[in-house]
Amino acid sequence: MKKVLALFIVLSLFLTGCWDKKEINELAFVQGIGMDIDKDKMCNITVQVLKPANLATSSGGGGGGAAAGKPYEVYSSRGVDFAKAFSNFNTELSRTLFLHHNEIIFIGENLARSGIYSMLDFITRNPEFRRTSYLVVVSGGTLDDLMKLSKSVEKYPYKEILGMIQNQKNTSSAYVCDINHFVETLETEKVQPIVGRLEIVKKDGKPQHARFVGAAAFKYDKMVGLLTEEQTKGIMWMDNLIKNTSLVLDKGPKGDRTHISFTIIKANSSITPKVNGEDVSFDVKINFDSNMIEQNSMYNLTDLKMIGSLEDLQQQKVKSEVLDALNAIQKKYKVDSVGLGQKLQEKYPKVWGKLKDRWDEIYPNVKVNVSVKATLKRSGLTSKPIQPR
Amino acid sequence: MDRTYLIENYKDMSLYDDIDKNLDVLKTLLKQNSDVIFREFRIGEKKVKGFLVCVDGLVDKALINNNIMEPITLESRKLDDSYLSKKNVYESLLNYFITTADIKEEEKFGSVVESILDGDTPVFVDGVDKSIIISTKGWEQRNVSESTTEAVVRGPKEAFVETLRVNTSMLRRRIKNPNFIIESLKVGKYTKTDVAVAYIKDVAKDEVVEKVKKRLNKIDIDGIIDSGYLEELIEDNPFSPFPQIEHSERPDKIAAELLEGRVAIISDGSPEVLVVPTIFVQFFQSSEDYYERYYISTLFRVLRLAAMLMSLTLPSIYVAAVTYHQEMIPSPLAISIAAQREGVPFTTLMEAFLMEFFFEILREAGIRLPMQVGQAVSIVGALVIGQAAVQAGLVSAATVIVVALTGIASFSIPAFNIAITFRLLRFAMLIIGGTLGFFGIIMALMMILAHLASLESFGVPYLSPIAPGNTRELNDVFIRIPWWVKIFRPHKVAGRNVKRQNYTRG
Repeated sequence: MKKVLALFIVLSLFLTGCWDKKEINELAFVQGIGMDIDKDKMCNITVQVLKPANLATSSGGGGGGAAAGKPYEVYSSRGVDFAKAFSNFNTELSRTLFLHHNEIIFIGENLARSGIYSMLDFITRNPEFRRTSYLVVVSGGTLDDLMKLSKSVEKYPYKEILGMIQNQKNTSSAYVCDINHFVETLETEKVQPIVGRLEIVKKDGKPQHARFVGAAAFKYDKMVGLLTEEQTKGIMWMDNLIKNTSLVLDKGPKGDRTHISFTIIKANSSITPKVNGEDVSFDVKINFDSNMIEQNSMYNLTDLKMIGSLEDLQQQKVKSEVLDALNAIQKKYKVDSVGLGQKLQEKYPKVWGKLKDRWDEIYPNVKVNVSVKATLKRSGLTSKPIQPR
Repeated sequence: MDRTYLIENYKDMSLYDDIDKNLDVLKTLLKQNSDVIFREFRIGEKKVKGFLVCVDGLVDKALINNNIMEPITLESRKLDDSYLSKKNVYESLLNYFITTADIKEEEKFGSVVESILDGDTPVFVDGVDKSIIISTKGWEQRNVSESTTEAVVRGPKEAFVETLRVNTSMLRRRIKNPNFIIESLKVGKYTKTDVAVAYIKDVAKDEVVEKVKKRLNKIDIDGIIDSGYLEELIEDNPFSPFPQIEHSERPDKIAAELLEGRVAIISDGSPEVLVVPTIFVQFFQSSEDYYERYYISTLFRVLRLAAMLMSLTLPSIYVAAVTYHQEMIPSPLAISIAAQREGVPFTTLMEAFLMEFFFEILREAGIRLPMQVGQAVSIVGALVIGQAAVQAGLVSAATVIVVALTGIASFSIPAFNIAITFRLLRFAMLIIGGTLGFFGIIMALMMILAHLASLESFGVPYLSPIAPGNTRELNDVFIRIPWWVKIFRPHKVAGRNVKRQNYTRG
């Protein structure tokens, strides 16, 4: 009897399973999904679906190559909300959309300006979206333009853009934000998110390639404005996000117009709130080490004074970037993107308790003192510049 | 005399003092056999009747001629009657004439017949109800040759042969200690196979030795042809797919295991010697591990364990990932697999199952065929299955790679018997992986693990020293510590004498 029972238990294991079986070649791999809304407030989804057979390098031995067509196809769909738009894809696709391998979510500028809350709800609710997917605001063109970029080292635009983003992330020259980070920021008191920005570059009205520079400043789920490359860097300096990036001076120590490039090898920053009665101010301290990589003039780096003045110039440059950024977010867009309020809350919770309801009014006028300390570490292989005689 | 009566009763019959009666009984029992030789002779001046019986082919003829027949027939005539009166001729034979060392006396027909069939030669003399049994074993046998199934690069090359005595001698030559004991018994009603139980007293646990002897004595089978019979008859859990008794044809390995306190069971007619108690990790230890540098041995052990896991789970993980968990495959790989599977008519499970199936057929065919043909088979198999099937779009290249990797992984497990267990379980895993996904694979692995943990081999838990854990003994599981720090024998295995050496280096 026991054995029969055990047999049934074992057999019952085999009754489950199979129901969610999907052969890998029956899936439509989505790499690159974009969401936007149009004039009629209808939700649009654009997806780039891969055609694996056209992608494989070695399929059919030598016969492939030129004969293989485009490795991807772009589909768009409309609906009253994103879920409806998404399910509408079923009407025109033979395979099931498979989103697990997607790592970037493109947000159209219209959607960003009118608020991405509904999209955020859709993508965080659906397990197929990776929470580590990058969020990117697309400016300078439509999503359709983006999906059809022609200039690419990679086989399809998505891969090109992903490479771009990861590159920028490694060199910390543009702001990279993923779903997790966005949601986290949104749920932190009085801190406003920033999202990376992809700018489509057109030539003769046709989208050609994209640049991943700058960022978009959000107030809650709505985009309030675009930040330039320098402003974004300024924010990243304050956020302690700079790891290695380049720094270009456009004037020399003697005030001459020249270009001197450095690469940052190590950087850290801190924001310290200061409270003086009702008066709140912040100290931003930035330290970084750099190496020289190029100069157009012939400054001699064996001269200690010269090093000192180059460090000085670097400090000025970084400071101006930071101030530029502060100007944009504090005065122009009035969003606390670097989380000054949060720093205050951490250090002076009581003061914060009193101020937090009025923070939106206080913030634009808060004083921020920026001090930068640069150290020039190495000059590359040449210490004395090459001297033509 | 009536043959049927004799067959039933000869075992307990005592020898007669009348030589004709003895001859009559033996002739009735054995005369039909064309290979049995009866040689009658007269001893000395008094012409005392005598005879000997031996089996042609089992005996060393030169030994019989020179050391038995010659003294009895020629030398005896040079002596006077005092030695060769009818009364004391038997004593004289025993004490002076027969010039071989290994002789004994028997009084029962049973043991006489047994010794004849064993290759010994009994000599009968008129008027005595006893017989002198002279050990004259000497048959054609395979020479001691290099081990074929457990080849090593470094280490002794010789392997056991089919003759028990040769095998015990190889062990005795390695362990020269009076405490090294080789007890023997006979198993099998018809085959009367000699089975020797070898152990080092005090190093081996007495309970284990007793248990081995008890289980061997309980066997009531008509014949033992190979030690594999014994293994199945005495192992703890006969229903388990896992072997619970290790076997080896390498005397160095068996000697080393005797030194660890294990008990060897040597069966005549089989070059494979059994060792108990056996633990799981033993199957992943090659004797070479202990001869090569310990860093390398450690690496190889980890490698083998990885290969074991691969050979068990790789196809199932592949199938489960491709049909259920596509999100777990890195994107470029997923796309590449999808591209390869484009146009393949089978489901991934079916595909993998078929490939595994063909691979097993190929392997089986390769083993059975003569060497020259075997090579042709593997070439055809590799070409047909590997190349043509992929090009024809019948299977995807990824599946072929997975199956091939699995095959190679299973070959890298040193013990063939556990490798085939994993081969068997692999098919079950494959089906579970293809129907239940990763969930099923984990469930199946847990079941296998639970089963392994429940096994025991002669009182020693199968998974020890991992579970139940013993951190000190883990030094010979995943790693191999150098000999100069290997101070203790495995506690669970060894008896009273646990210490191997004091901490010294030459």
